[in-house]
Amino acid sequence: MGIRWQHIALWIAFIVVMLALPEFVSKGTLRTIIFANFLAIFAISWDVLSGRTGYISFGHPFLIGIGAYTSAILSYRFGFPVAASIPLAVVATMIGGTLFFLPALRIRGSYFALVTLAFMELMYQLVQVIRPDLTGGTRGMSGIETITRGAVNNYYLSFSLMVIIALAMWLVMKTRLGTALSAIGMNEESVRGSGLDTTKLKLAAFMIAAFIAGLGGAFYVHYLGSIAPRALFDINFLFTIIVAALIGGASTIIGPMIGAFFLTFLLEYLRPVLPGAERYFIYGGIALILYMYQPKGIYEVAKQGWGRLRAVRAGAGP
Amino acid sequence: MAFLEIEGLSAYYGKARALHNVDIAVEKGEIVAVVGANGAGKSTLLDSIMGLTAIKGDIRLGGESLAGLSSRAIVEQGVGYAPERFNLFPYMSVFDNLMVGAFTARDEADRNLQHVFDLFPRLAERRSQETYTQSGGERQMVSLGRALMTGPRLLLVDEPTIGLAPKVCHDIAESLRRLNGETGLTIVITEQNANFAMSLASHLHILETGELKMSGTADELGSDEELNKAYFGH
Repeated sequence: MGIRWQHIALWIAFIVVMLALPEFVSKGTLRTIIFANFLAIFAISWDVLSGRTGYISFGHPFLIGIGAYTSAILSYRFGFPVAASIPLAVVATMIGGTLFFLPALRIRGSYFALVTLAFMELMYQLVQVIRPDLTGGTRGMSGIETITRGAVNNYYLSFSLMVIIALAMWLVMKTRLGTALSAIGMNEESVRGSGLDTTKLKLAAFMIAAFIAGLGGAFYVHYLGSIAPRALFDINFLFTIIVAALIGGASTIIGPMIGAFFLTFLLEYLRPVLPGAERYFIYGGIALILYMYQPKGIYEVAKQGWGRLRAVRAGAGP
Repeated sequence: MAFLEIEGLSAYYGKARALHNVDIAVEKGEIVAVVGANGAGKSTLLDSIMGLTAIKGDIRLGGESLAGLSSRAIVEQGVGYAPERFNLFPYMSVFDNLMVGAFTARDEADRNLQHVFDLFPRLAERRSQETYTQSGGERQMVSLGRALMTGPRLLLVDEPTIGLAPKVCHDIAESLRRLNGETGLTIVITEQNANFAMSLASHLHILETGELKMSGTADELGSDEELNKAYFGH
């Protein structure tokens, strides 16, 4: 997979616009974008594992939770500086990612999805029961150290994190590793038949996904300043991550980002009209229509639209 | 000692036995066909050589046993596998499909790619095209090309003509003959189309419900009346 100059130009344009954004939008909108940035990070992480390799994870909050809780406990309970607690949280999440990987050695499809869902449920129960003096039990923890203060600073921090992760993943997916991971999602047996060690490749995907989830989870908890099991290990949170990746365009980097921004703003703008859970019916309906019309998501719709526009312009030329 | 020796091979899917006590010998530089109906065990035979199924018995390439090796090790020993064309990566480009085959022979990737493009110039023209948008014949070329990217000494080709028009079958046969003639590559194909197999291979093996029923040259098998009725339609 080659890198085209148009791709680099689009990335630069996107970064420039986003860096200038705080000058033009309200702090409320910036806070919404901060959530979109974190959702994009989680959706990219889910996509590396599930969108690419086809191993559908229903337990991603398990990985995010390890990162968030580890960093929160280390900094809040043991006084670790955030600069140390976040890397340690990432390492802990990668160890958790290895646990996540074990079922994938034997099972796939709906069974794998159910086992990963059980991981999330297990984590939800464990943090409430095991050492509540550390985890805060059902009430969680508040007063966790934040990295920076204010909407603008947090916007730049979360955007920088998202864009670094997205660019790094974009480059990784342009390598042979990225090609092989995508191939596994389409036909794992055929990948083995070509002489590739699919176990090692899947482990690499799980480790990368866990790294991103742990990093995102740790930064997220130090943005919020609080953590509660019910908010983190929640089925709505899980499906928001998955739908963001799918609605934007799975197996791409830009797709989960588009999906995350689309969903966050959709839910935010629906809030005054539909303050309750009814909002999820609307976004579920939009997702359903989109899947029926274009299963590859908003990114593919935009790509096809751009292609048609170029064709029309070329036809209108001399 | 033959180049490829398959001795007493039985293959299993769980407890179900798909091949029973199969013996096949292939000489270096030969084209050999394994002919049989659906469910005869043709694909299982190739999967067994590739280490993709549980087996009993032995498979040797150039005197070295392949039994118990991982698929990666078997590819590194010089076995290239072109599965049925339906087993491509449909939403990846021709180039990316080919590069999946280049993992075990990275140092020779450029040379092997040029070899594939020389053999199938149409793939060079359509290197950016996603394979699900291609014709059956083009996809078969990609499947063969991906196997050639591993730099094989032995090429296994699973049902290369399935569902293809006669003209395309002819082109595929020409490509395989050219490969064999120019490079001396040893080729084992599986086929339901016995006439195609007979036109291409020097030796044929007939598989029925997992057992080897008959082996011989095209002339030998062509003169067997019962076999003629069952497989060659005359």
